[in-house]
Amino acid sequence: MRRYLLALFSLFAAIAGTELTGPPAAAAQTVFNTAPPAAIRVAIRENNPSGEPDPRGRIVWVQTVPFEEYCKDVLPNEWMPSWSSESLKAGAIAVKMFSWYHHLHPVTIGGFTFDVDNTTNFQVFRYLSGQVDTNQAVEAVRRLAFTLPNGDIMELNYRAGYRNNPNWQYRNAQKMAQWGSEYWAERGRSYLQILQFYYMDRSLLQVP
Amino acid sequence: MLRMSARIILVTTALSCLSLVWPAPLQTVAALAHQGPSLQTPFVAPNTNGKHTLSPYAPWPVARFRARVIDGRTLQPLVKAEVVIIETEQRLSTDADGYTPWVDAPVLRDPRYRPLVQELHGQLGAIAYKNGYRDSIHLGIRMHEGYQTETTIWMYRIGPGDVRIEPVLYEVPYHHLWLVELADRFRSKSQPGEGPERP
Repeated sequence: MRRYLLALFSLFAAIAGTELTGPPAAAAQTVFNTAPPAAIRVAIRENNPSGEPDPRGRIVWVQTVPFEEYCKDVLPNEWMPSWSSESLKAGAIAVKMFSWYHHLHPVTIGGFTFDVDNTTNFQVFRYLSGQVDTNQAVEAVRRLAFTLPNGDIMELNYRAGYRNNPNWQYRNAQKMAQWGSEYWAERGRSYLQILQFYYMDRSLLQVP
Repeated sequence: MLRMSARIILVTTALSCLSLVWPAPLQTVAALAHQGPSLQTPFVAPNTNGKHTLSPYAPWPVARFRARVIDGRTLQPLVKAEVVIIETEQRLSTDADGYTPWVDAPVLRDPRYRPLVQELHGQLGAIAYKNGYRDSIHLGIRMHEGYQTETTIWMYRIGPGDVRIEPVLYEVPYHHLWLVELADRFRSKSQPGEGPERP
């Protein structure tokens, strides 16, 4: 009887053992084990009749763009280049971390594999549309990343929000309000304070 | 009766006091709305020698502007292309890097929208000419007081197969932050459509 019990126990132990020693989980992608992307794949969607890229349009081709150039060509189309420099820097960090996250999580649609597209499905991108002020903001945060305290790369989401308003509801939703970033910048907040207002429990880290 | 009239006097006095206090901020708001977007630089009319003024009655705000002209297929800069700012007829020429010099160009906001939703940027038009290339018309360049605007104009070389050579048009779209505001401006509660902007 004891022999049977022992055999049963060893069987359970073996099963439990196999469960415990299953395939190792993929390591979390952090700023410590992931290099900033050198280039990003942008799906270009076809234009609507008025000549603007259509978020529901079909994908025409995938353009590979150097990562910093991509950020420079997004920021003036998402933030207003005439806004305060601290608002633009907060925007530059959000644009960068959003696209870095999606670079690590590419998608395949209609036979095209890409990281982001050029519409509001991801971020509005117009090739060679960089402006002086927004380029400076992107360059100012080139060596910075805004992540979870352990370095995990998270998507920093943002929405338009309302003009002349702190947009508290966006803070509750853990998204930055673009108008809210300008609201706080006009009141003397730095880009880090703006980011910390909208995204809780994150850290500003240096990247190579 | 006396008590009643005393009350009336009190109420009218209070109202007159309020009217002394209240109109000031209302006037300020109305005045601000009339002035339009806040200006970071004062109004300065460009020196046009009295020839090419846009309106004889009012100067217009200006901002720094330059264009870059590139070959649309090779993406290489085009030297000595001529860029004309449509609204002011200023003529500029590109250097070896394809850039025109920085100039003062007008910031013109569409007057239709002025009383409705503050526009985030004015719009400007430019045409680029170069021998051997199609003319490129570039409309809707985003201009705003107090910041420098750059725009890239793409030109296309005329090849042997081109029989009907016409200008190429590119329109810079409105900034989508403004479109969100514009749509919210007229939204009704009974038919909200996609609904107001939300997180």
